[in-house]
Amino acid sequence: MKICNVHTSREGTVVLDGVTFDVDAGITAVLGPSGIGKTTLLRIIAGLDRPDRGEVKGVRPRDVGVVFQNYPLIRHRTVEDNLFVAARVGGLDAPRARKRAEEMLARVGLEDRATFYPAQLSGGQRQRAAIAQQLVLPKHLLLLDEPFSGLDPGALADVCELVAEVAKEEGHAIIVVTHDIRAALAVSSRIVLLDVPAGARGARVVAVHDAKGQDLEREITRRFRRAA
Amino acid sequence: MSPLLPSLGEVWHALGDLWWRGGLGPELFATLKLVGAGLAVSLVLSFALAYATVLPYVRPIVNGLSKLRFLGLTGLVFPFTLATGGGFALKVALLAFGMSTFLVTALARIVAEVPRARFDHVRSLGASNARVFYEAVVRGTLDRAIDAVRQNVAMGWAMITMVEGIARSDGGIGALLLAENKHFRLAEVYAVLVVVLLVGLAIDLAMRGFGALACPYARYEARHEDL
Repeated sequence: MKICNVHTSREGTVVLDGVTFDVDAGITAVLGPSGIGKTTLLRIIAGLDRPDRGEVKGVRPRDVGVVFQNYPLIRHRTVEDNLFVAARVGGLDAPRARKRAEEMLARVGLEDRATFYPAQLSGGQRQRAAIAQQLVLPKHLLLLDEPFSGLDPGALADVCELVAEVAKEEGHAIIVVTHDIRAALAVSSRIVLLDVPAGARGARVVAVHDAKGQDLEREITRRFRRAA
Repeated sequence: MSPLLPSLGEVWHALGDLWWRGGLGPELFATLKLVGAGLAVSLVLSFALAYATVLPYVRPIVNGLSKLRFLGLTGLVFPFTLATGGGFALKVALLAFGMSTFLVTALARIVAEVPRARFDHVRSLGASNARVFYEAVVRGTLDRAIDAVRQNVAMGWAMITMVEGIARSDGGIGALLLAENKHFRLAEVYAVLVVVLLVGLAIDLAMRGFGALACPYARYEARHEDL
């Protein structure tokens, strides 16, 4: 899959000014300072917004799952119903949808929370349930918008583990949009840095790293500090 | 206390008299029937208009209609009489109009406040537009909508004396109250007011119970405002 020269503006302000990068199987973290346009990019990749110019090649919107930061689940449905609805609207009949929902709940270790409402779950449980909801049907690409935000260290480790597991076992490509450098480095195999370089009107990809480690964290932190 | 005001004992005695001999029961039933009919019409109109505001071109129309809440009912009696022929239908129309202008305002605001991410989330599951509308708007705002209806029923209940005073032939607790008041039978007036208050509170309690039953998730959300 390839994000090709994506430009977009909002209310006359250029947000993305030619974003281009490849997405392979495994986890790609898109990092950037707050307000740089990470979520805007995610919405374009998901097919929820159209770019002014450029395109997303190699994936159809219906093959993309999105876990939103603030509204990851349907609030008025129980956890199991959330998964059931996703399976139903995806085309499974009721018995198969129910079975698939139960399987996915067991997969993310939430079978004992099946009858809970989203508001009864902890932050980490909510993220796991949301990921399970998106994986109820086969997807080629999973987009996670700030999945580590507001999680305590235990829940963060849990969610990181689940994301890594999904990427490995299901062979999904996953894009994690975050400003949490440490979590991004811990979970991803590839880091795409978004920033507004000198001379650009909006955000572009300023670096792509495959490596991990202390130095990279320091470099990214330094870059973000400079941008701020 | 002023000697003009009735004592609690006199009010209690008047209440018994009204209930057993004054026809308070049938009058109360007539009022509940009127409020039920007015509420039904108001619910259909208000929900239909408020839900239609998801279509951008409907919003200015609903916005204009909601301004009619500043109009008051007095000047509308004549055109409504011509339109309905008077009697029960007139009272239902007046009550429904009075409630709908407020209810549609509250419901339209609730619909407008549905975050875009709620629509996007359901859409990202692959749902049709109708399903997105149902999950994000109809079911997604039901708890707040029931609460808005509850507030408007209270308003409608408070309007009942005025509405029933316009056409008294069908009776009703409002007409009874006005008749007692006309003859300055204060013990009876307060007895009727006590009934109005108690029935109003009972309706409110029943609607709260219905809300809790229909939307059990809402009580968990006080701690998670972002959901």
